[in-house]
Amino acid sequence: MEDIHIEGVHEAYFTPTVNFEVATGKCEISGESYLEETTKFYSRLFEWIKAYTSTIKGPLVFDFKLSYFNTSSSKCLVDILDMLKSYKNNGGDVTVNWYYDDSDEELEEVDDFILETGLQINKIPMEF
Amino acid sequence: MESAVKKHRTVDNIAISYTGIFDTEILSVLAKEIEGTLSQDDKVNKKVFKIFIELAQNISFYSLEREVNSEGSDMGVGTMIIRNFDTYFEFSTGNKTTMENIIPVMEKCDNINSMSREKLREYRRLQRNMPAGEKGGGNIGLIQVALTASNPIQYSLVKCEDGSYFYIVSVRIDKDK
Repeated sequence: MEDIHIEGVHEAYFTPTVNFEVATGKCEISGESYLEETTKFYSRLFEWIKAYTSTIKGPLVFDFKLSYFNTSSSKCLVDILDMLKSYKNNGGDVTVNWYYDDSDEELEEVDDFILETGLQINKIPMEF
Repeated sequence: MESAVKKHRTVDNIAISYTGIFDTEILSVLAKEIEGTLSQDDKVNKKVFKIFIELAQNISFYSLEREVNSEGSDMGVGTMIIRNFDTYFEFSTGNKTTMENIIPVMEKCDNINSMSREKLREYRRLQRNMPAGEKGGGNIGLIQVALTASNPIQYSLVKCEDGSYFYIVSVRIDKDK
């Protein structure tokens, strides 16, 4: 398995920075997510998680540090969280940290991800 | 393209207005205007930006009136106006549509406007878990607009001579929230 390293871009569309490391299980998605082909972009991340959780089976520590994501992206983010929940249910060691821009609306969004997926998520406010 | 975007007119409190094709380039130009220059308050600018992305993409995807841009992409045509009042911004979009297409959208708006914030969040959670829409969306653009604005979505329909309808949607974003 290979690591994923994607450099974030803020142009007409916004690509998030993604770093997924096989050796440590440390994964980070940060920046902004507003993409022309959202599902296509996130499919690569889904495939990595699927492969890691079925072959490596090590701990996963996911850090989400997104200052903005549109609704299409939010669906894919929930899909990632669902995959992590499934791995945890099957005995995997999963830690999820969600860094959010300190506002009521952003906090609600994280709370809704928790309700939607049943996954334990550590909520950490930060200044973006 | 930037010259097509009208800024800071004093008539009718218009801060930014645009009519034309909603393609990647114009979305990018409008996004920069909103993020950078709309107001001194970054939090308010961010709310307007979030609403802009959802409603502008709706024009791109679903407007009945289409144009092909210089790169050969077929995109929707419509109008966007941001008006600046003392205590709020008013964000409006308009595009041509058919009655058949718009009835479910109007019903959705009525449904959204009838819900408390808690119910709306529950509705968003439910809708997000439905199969992805045709454009890969989460079926939740309008719900997100209502939640971000914390205000009802206003809409109206104007019948056009050719039998289609012009659908206008507006939402208010308060400056002090």
